Amino acid sequence: MENRIHISVLLFAASALLPLAGWCRPELPDSVTTGTEQRVDEVTVTAKRSPVRVSAGTPVQSLSGQAIAELGIQNVADAVRRFAGTNVRDYGGIGGLKTVSVRNMGAAHTGVSYDGAPVSNCQAGQVDIGRFSLDNVSMLSLAVGQEENLLQPARLYASAAVLNIVTNTPTFDAGRSSAFDVQLKGGSFGYVSPMLRWWHRVGSRVRTSLDGSFMRADGNYPFTLVNGKHVSRERRSNSAIDSWHGEANVYYDMPGGGDMQVKGYYYYSKRGLPGAVTLYNPISTETLWDRNGFVQVKYNKELTPKWQFQALGKYNYGWNRDRELGNQFAGGVYQAEHTQHEYYLSATAEYRPVAGLSVALAQDWIVNKLNSTMGECPFPTRYTSLTALSARWRRGWLTVNGTLVGTYITERVKAGNPPEDVKRLSPGASVSVQPWKGEMLFFRGVYKSTFRTPTFNDLYYDRLGNRSLRPERANEYDLGVTWSRSFCPAMDYFSITVDGYFNDVNDKIVAFPTTYAWKMANFGKVHVKGLDFTLATAFSLPRGINLSLSAAYTWQKAIDLTDPDSKNYKAQLPYTPEHSGNMAVTVKTPWCTLGYSLVGVGKRYFIAQNIPVNEIDGYVEQTLTLGHEFRLRGCRLGLRGELINLADKQYDVIKYYPMPGRSWRVVANVKF
Amino acid sequence: MKIRNLFNWMFVLAVGFSAVSCSDDDDPQIDEQVPNDGLPAHRMFILNEGSFNLNNAGISFFAPDNSDVAAIPDIFYQQNGVRLGDTGQDILAYDGNTYVSVYGSNYIAKLSAACVEESRISFAGDADFNGGIRYLAAEDGYIYASFHGSMIAKINAKTFKVEAKLRTNGSNLEGVAIEGDNLYVANSYSQVDGNYVYHNEVFVIDLATFQVKETLNVVTNPNDLVEADDKVFLISHDYSRESYVLQLIDPAAGNSVKELGYATKMAAGDGILYLVDSRTDWSTWVTVNTFSSYDIKSGRLNSTSFLKNAPAELANASIYTMAVDDESGDIYIGVTHYSDSNGDMYRFKKDGTFVEKFDCGGQNPKAAVFFD
Repeated sequence: MENRIHISVLLFAASALLPLAGWCRPELPDSVTTGTEQRVDEVTVTAKRSPVRVSAGTPVQSLSGQAIAELGIQNVADAVRRFAGTNVRDYGGIGGLKTVSVRNMGAAHTGVSYDGAPVSNCQAGQVDIGRFSLDNVSMLSLAVGQEENLLQPARLYASAAVLNIVTNTPTFDAGRSSAFDVQLKGGSFGYVSPMLRWWHRVGSRVRTSLDGSFMRADGNYPFTLVNGKHVSRERRSNSAIDSWHGEANVYYDMPGGGDMQVKGYYYYSKRGLPGAVTLYNPISTETLWDRNGFVQVKYNKELTPKWQFQALGKYNYGWNRDRELGNQFAGGVYQAEHTQHEYYLSATAEYRPVAGLSVALAQDWIVNKLNSTMGECPFPTRYTSLTALSARWRRGWLTVNGTLVGTYITERVKAGNPPEDVKRLSPGASVSVQPWKGEMLFFRGVYKSTFRTPTFNDLYYDRLGNRSLRPERANEYDLGVTWSRSFCPAMDYFSITVDGYFNDVNDKIVAFPTTYAWKMANFGKVHVKGLDFTLATAFSLPRGINLSLSAAYTWQKAIDLTDPDSKNYKAQLPYTPEHSGNMAVTVKTPWCTLGYSLVGVGKRYFIAQNIPVNEIDGYVEQTLTLGHEFRLRGCRLGLRGELINLADKQYDVIKYYPMPGRSWRVVANVKF
Repeated sequence: MKIRNLFNWMFVLAVGFSAVSCSDDDDPQIDEQVPNDGLPAHRMFILNEGSFNLNNAGISFFAPDNSDVAAIPDIFYQQNGVRLGDTGQDILAYDGNTYVSVYGSNYIAKLSAACVEESRISFAGDADFNGGIRYLAAEDGYIYASFHGSMIAKINAKTFKVEAKLRTNGSNLEGVAIEGDNLYVANSYSQVDGNYVYHNEVFVIDLATFQVKETLNVVTNPNDLVEADDKVFLISHDYSRESYVLQLIDPAAGNSVKELGYATKMAAGDGILYLVDSRTDWSTWVTVNTFSSYDIKSGRLNSTSFLKNAPAELANASIYTMAVDDESGDIYIGVTHYSDSNGDMYRFKKDGTFVEKFDCGGQNPKAAVFFD
């Protein structure tokens, strides 16, 4: 098929093809980085629309901002659960904690990067992905194992999987130096969220962006509580949230090549924590305040055709206050505050000595500090050095990647003894083979060894912490096949990926229940085997109609091998469905865009012992969206309606944290 | 992987309907209610604490004399058609009824001797009792309950109404025991700005006036109280000591307090206090249980294990409760597997001979009571 695609459209909305691809590797045309739409005379491009990047040596799945909007995806966690192999723990509601574990290695093994800079939480180990706004996201991607991009911080090399959040960068219509986006969202349960964005160009090399958003919701959604023969209609209480999010960016295209991005980010929220539904006791009095701010500077420079360099600096401030009321606390109130500081520096150099060979060296230095009002806090400071040596060799049909990450961690504490230093080498490798030139069929294999360092909570939490903990080790193995082609003129592409994997997690850090006192311990052993299957296809139909379809399915068996004498030996891990999947259809017409998606999760167990009383039912959640963008003079007015959980399915992701039933959301935005 | 399941899931993805079971009812089918006379007269109820926030507390039934009578994993659910709630705390057999306190759900229920609920008092949202109900004791037609947050409730067992409230100058109250005309209540700890502050007091409350008449100084963090043979025994969870501390409070000697040794759990029957001292080696994560007994009349501690042919695994298990069947003198030792799986109960004859081991039907066997 020969698709006639207008170049300017391609450049203006570079991500437009990516959502159609569904699970493609995020790779934007270089020209977009200038941020200026380039209008050229109309030309005919005699190439097919780019299919899914099936050539990636490691499993990479992505969703563009446009696809996220068209499918009515509610938050980052909702997006991530549509990636094969992920296990999102969602404690319900807009303000509920949401974490992601990839292929059941645990949330602490999943790295999160925000515009290329790692996001961390040294206290808890897992990042709450629920707090990131989707309004400003241009691309979400999840890489399992090691991405092929060598020019990245060592910290991302050190994670078993990385969730990349990439925000929008300013682009301008020809002749304009400013762009505005005003958006208002409203929906069920008192949800209101205005957003304002201003993009501005200063001269030919500097672009700025300013984003601000506010969100509030009562979150008091109804749910059905089944307690044996009693079935009652209840409402979540103490679940209101107010949050503010602001972001400022400066993009500088440097003379002689290279670019620099300076980002400032601030997030504040106050939210009620409704907690688990407790039978016969609906009282909930816990409130959490969060403040998170960071400044990061990222610099890229192609020094010579053979040398490329990236540097990154970041300061991160995190603070939260937890308050609960009740007579069980002295004075009727419990309050604890925690403050974290992170100082981060990273430098990466990539060298391409000969065609097909790239070698990179990344060095990160990180300092983490924790202050807490909780008892026995030793005010730890962690010093981390990460060194990643990586290489890629590409020759015709074969691509080979190798990495070696060296980690050195030492800690200082103001009370007691610090834990032993961590010194480790973690290798990784991937191979991608294309047996037949011209046929988009690839075979890939991945091995990666990673570990997760004990968190500050693991080490120092009052009475529970254990300073003798060792890192939790994980080995991941993946064998996969990817294939893409077109079968008819109307079909832009049809691509499938199938990956079988095995993960081996040892020295798992768990709360170990010895007699009458719990302590963190290296005690667990887990084997995870699974199969991820993805499919994506797109059609260009007459009358300007585009149809895209994507689907993913995961089969996973994650078993506990810790204690052969226990009742849960070889039992499926809690909250791990054996079967899960999702699908999405988008129909774009000149008159409207229709999106439909569903997420299905099979039965799970909420306790390690796999007996019927510990089961949670499976569920299917469906979402329907209808939207259109109108052009009014120089403005574009977008309107979209979303119906979430169409069938009003009552379900829990985490037992006794009920999810909302059917709800709606309306989104209106004006771009000018 | 079953291919059929795979096809089911492909079908789900294709048409948007669930081909797997997606019942709206999370709870299993309720069996028919068991009448009181359907249970043997000699019966045992085990209170399974469950796991915090999972509403899986329950009461299991076991017939000690008749192995042909099937155990019922959650007789409360079977009899009442609803769950017991979140975090079972204490259970008491008194005057032909069963009383149970449920900490997270914060209520006390009066049950029949067949676990059919007759009445309940909810303390959820109660300005005085919202700290959460803890332990129970009964005397002269009244149930006494301790609460986190310094309160004690006096409940008329017949009308099942709170007749009096007592605010102590303590904080989070734990174990209770009645000896003579006095109620003994352990004042355990406070939570001050997220920090634990441990206390070292036992309140002695005059049952007639329902007022604190004496405060005893005991080892830090007093918790478990047991009355036996006119004596009161206390275990304090003093984390600064090598293990938990067993003490004797002697009402006949002006409530004098005397340390007897170390124990982490205790149960009394027929003049003997059965003890276990569980200690964990933090370097190997191995717990070692040392069983001993205390002859209440003679005041002699017998360091020889009262168990004769215990299964080997009991030596290193996490013992969560001990109980003695007054009728037979049999000793029951409940082992927890915490939030991983159901607990196990080990049964021994009075002479220490191992009888059997059975599944508790729920997590964390917290206490057991007997009817005969």
